[in-house]
Order: sequence, then structure tokens, then C-alpha cells
Amino acid sequence: MSDTAMSDTTAQIELTGVGRTYTRGKKTVEALTGVDLTIEQGEFITLFGPSGCGKSTLLRLIAGLDTQTTGEISIFGSTPKQASSRKDIAWIPQSSALLPWLDIESNASLSSVVNTRADRSGATTRRPEAAVGILEEVGLGDFRASRPDQLSGGMRQRASIARGFAQGAPLMLMDEPFSALDELTRDTLRIRLLELWEHHRKTIVFVTHSAMEAVLLSDRVVVMSPRPGRIREVVDIDLPRPRTWELTETSEFTAKVAQVKQILWSAWEGDE
Amino acid sequence: MTVGIDPLNPAVAVAPARRGRPRMSSRTGGALLTVGAPLALFVLLAIAWQWTAATFKSVLPPIQDIVTDIAGRPEFYLENLLVTLEAALLGFVIGVVVALLLAAAIVHFRFLRAAIMPVALLLNVTPIVAISPALVVAFGFNQIPHVIVAALSAFFPTLINSITGLRAVDPQALEVFDAMSASRTEVFFRLRVPSSLPYIFAGARLSVAAAVIGAVVSEFTGSSKGIGAVIVMATTYLNLPQMWAAIFFSALTTLALLGLVGLLERLVVRW
Ligand SMILES: Nc1ncnc2c1ncn2[C@@H]1O[C@H](COP(=O)(O)OP(=O)(O)OP(=O)(O)O)[C@@H](O)[C@H]1O
Ligand SMILES: [Mg+2]
Repeated sequence: MSDTAMSDTTAQIELTGVGRTYTRGKKTVEALTGVDLTIEQGEFITLFGPSGCGKSTLLRLIAGLDTQTTGEISIFGSTPKQASSRKDIAWIPQSSALLPWLDIESNASLSSVVNTRADRSGATTRRPEAAVGILEEVGLGDFRASRPDQLSGGMRQRASIARGFAQGAPLMLMDEPFSALDELTRDTLRIRLLELWEHHRKTIVFVTHSAMEAVLLSDRVVVMSPRPGRIREVVDIDLPRPRTWELTETSEFTAKVAQVKQILWSAWEGDE
Repeated sequence: MTVGIDPLNPAVAVAPARRGRPRMSSRTGGALLTVGAPLALFVLLAIAWQWTAATFKSVLPPIQDIVTDIAGRPEFYLENLLVTLEAALLGFVIGVVVALLLAAAIVHFRFLRAAIMPVALLLNVTPIVAISPALVVAFGFNQIPHVIVAALSAFFPTLINSITGLRAVDPQALEVFDAMSASRTEVFFRLRVPSSLPYIFAGARLSVAAAVIGAVVSEFTGSSKGIGAVIVMATTYLNLPQMWAAIFFSALTTLALLGLVGLLERLVVRW
């Protein structure tokens, strides 16, 4: 799939030998070690693995919310901190984390009132979009004036995703954004996210506990294992796009899910 | 629009109301309970009061004596009420404003926290009304000592609550801001301040009560005006109706200020 020889580093996200060790007193935890990964522009890539394998740690390093203890991270040619200061990274957390005192439209356009220095310096590939349009796209057009506590959990999560897309950042990071939702809502949001991604073509790094979700959404699934957190294998998901719910009923899909889970289990057995 | 304002919420809640919590109490049954139950207790207490007043004459005055006293000279009570209200309100505003400014400074600068908190805690364990006579000596027979005592009394509850509120931001919302490299000022005004408002108002309500207590008790010494002075006068002349009328008015002062804070809260905290 992505074995194109041309390696334009400004079109890629590159992680080389990335590690993160936490020190608390005399105790040290190797949360992440030796991560080498190249993410293509416009790719949908998923970090998949059991609890504690360092998925969130890795995502926070890419976001510049934390700093690696070893290795290098390049986001389209800049450091995470530089990319962040240009607002080139959109962060979509697990809970919707909307601001309860703002209506949905103001929440979705948060990026336009924060870090306005970045808006004045022109050097960016970011394309901010009107919150109204994105809210329409996620089916919240009629709820622009509502407050977050008037919406259901699924709607709040859609508003949170709209906030991310309205920022127009070329890179979007999502840490288990659907894990707090019920199964039915989760399924519809997965499809909605795919539609948004097809339309806006951002690079998305998505963290999940669910093999099924990983296979449904991604171009590639990064299977990770814990103690210390590391990459086991990167699996290409060469299933046709655009993907719909029907795909999940095909044998190819089921086989992919089984393959991804198999890697996880063998990693565990290797641990014993 | 405004959702979740509970008309039955008593004015002196300590913790801020959790957002998104479903309000309980079915409409009719709840109203009967919240109006009927306290009313019944009131009547019971009034009966007990009247019985005590009739049996032990030096313990409580009959309610009608208090009412007659107030009705006979309303301007006397109003004049003294306004004096206390002024001291309490002025002290409350000064104490709360200083507390808010210090809280903002404390969450921004570690060394300020280290410097201020021990002093604030020391202030909190000091019975502030005990400073009043010293202040009278220093500032003389005027309003200043009582305003200072009210301000010092109002200071601490708002300080502690607003520090708590300014730090109690949703960590995931903070990550959203940080991932966009929001400045500290932006985080402060767009995230910390709004999310701390329910805490600040909870603190302010405690400060109201403290300010009124401070003002009234401070007026016990070095004052010829104000509710506190009226109480002292009543003690000298063993005038029980006047004493209880004054106590009633000091409660009224607290209620009036609480109402003001509540009104402000409704205007500001609309989520
Ligand atoms: N701030 C921290 N201080 C100390 N240890 C930490 C810290 N953050 C993470 N860790 C440790 O690093 C390891 C990886 O944590 P991380 O949160 O990245 O895992 P995860 O894959 O996201 O897990 P989950 O699926 O449960 O979210 C864990 O062992 C965790 O205890
Ligand atoms: Mg995690």
C-alpha cells in the first residue's frame, strides 16, 4: 500500500525510535519504547491494543501535549510543539469535553477564538471551516443554539467531532472518542466519521480498544502490546472504500478483524 | 434557554450544583412537601415560642410584643438596618473582590500560593470579630472597623471556593485547549473562569453570611448605630422585644444579600 519510494518528509508524520519513560520517585515506567512509524498525509490510521500499551501516551506525544524521552517526531516537517502552535493539530478527547456555558455553535467554533496568534501568521496548511457547515454535516444543524446539557451523549460527541473538523487542522487525533457511548450510537458515529473523513481528507490517528472499529475505519491498524508499550505489527486494511455498514457483514471484514485480534493474542502469549 | 434552575433550591447550598444531574421531585408532591413541611414546623415552633414566653417571661418575649415594637418605630429599625447593611455589603464586596484577585494570582503563580495560603489559613482560624475592639481603637467610632471585620469575614470562603473552582477544570477540555496551544490568558478567561463560576457563587453565599455576622458582632463595640448597637442597647435596658426585633433584622439583612447574590448568579450562570 504505502511503500511509495518518494519520501517527502513534509507530507508525512514520522516517528523514529520514540520512547517515553515516566519516573515517579525511584520507580520508572517504560510507557512506550522504540516506536518507528510513518503516517502518510490523508491516511486514517488506528492505534489498537490492550489497556496500558501506551496508545494514549503515543497520541499525546504526537499532539505535543507530552514530550518523548527518546527519539524524534516530525509532523509534516515540524516538531509537534511547532505544529500545535500553528493550530495544525486537532484533539478530540474521549469525553466530548464541550464547554457547558457555550451553545453548540460557539463550542464548535472554539478554535477560531483560541490561539489567535496562529491565525495571523500565514504559514499553515490549516483550512478553518465554518462551524455551521460542519454541524449541518453531523446532523446538528437544528441544535446550534442548544447548550451541551440539552443534548444526548451521542449528539455531544458529534459536536465535539465537529469542533475538531471546524479547526481545519491537517492532523486530527482521537483518543477513544466513542468508548463512552452505547453500541448503537457508536455504530452510527463510526459511519458518520468515515463520511466526514472521505469529505475532508484529514490525516487521522485514532485510538481504540475495538478490533472491529479499527478495521472498519482505518487504512492501517497499528497493533500495540504492553510492558513496555511498543508496536507489534502494522496491518494493512485493504478493504474497499467508501466503507459502509454492509462491509462488516462480509467474510473479508471478519477475517481482517480476526487477523488483528490474533496478533494481539500472540503478543500476549509471547509475554508469558 | 436557561435549564436546570431549581426554584426549590435553598439559597445556602455549599457545593455547586452538578450540571446534568436530573432534578428530582415530582411537580405537585414536591411543592407540597417543600412548602407544607417547613410551614408546619414554623407553626409548631411559633406555638412553642409563645408557650415559653408565657411561662418564662425573662427568656423570650411574646411575638406580638416584637411586632408591636417594630410597628411602633419602623424608622428606628430601618435606619439601623441600613447602617449594618451598608457595612456588611461594603465589607462583602471588598472581601470578595480581594479574594477573587488573590485566587486568580494564586492559580497562576506557585510562589504566591506558597506565600498567601498560610496567612489566609491563619486568618481563618482567627475569630475575626475579636479584632473589632482593636480596630475601633485604631480607626475610631465610625463605620471603618465594622467594614473591615465584614471584609475579613467574607474573604476566606470565597478565596477557598474560587481557588478550588479555578483548578477544577475538565482535564479533557484543558487538553483541547493545550493541543491548540492556547495561551495561559485564553485558558484562564475561556476555561478556568467560566467553569469556576458555580464554585465562586457557592463561596460568595458563605461570604454573605460571614459578612453580616462580622458586621453585626463588630457593632457590639464602638458603635451607637447599626443592628449590633441596637442589640447592645437592648441588653442594657433588658428590652427583650427590641433585642429579638434586631436579631430578626440581622437575619433579614443576610436574606437580602443572599437574594442579591442569587439574582446575580442566575444572570451569570445560565448552564
Ligand atoms: N503521567 C503518567 N505517569 C506515570 N505513568 C504513566 C503516566 N501516563 C501513563 N503512564 C503509564 O504508561 C503506561 C501506558 O499508559 P497509556 O495511558 O498510554 O495506555 P493506553 O494504551 O492509553 O491505555 P488505555 O487503553 O487504558 O487508555 C501505563 O502503564 C500507565 O500506567
Ligand atoms: Mg488511553
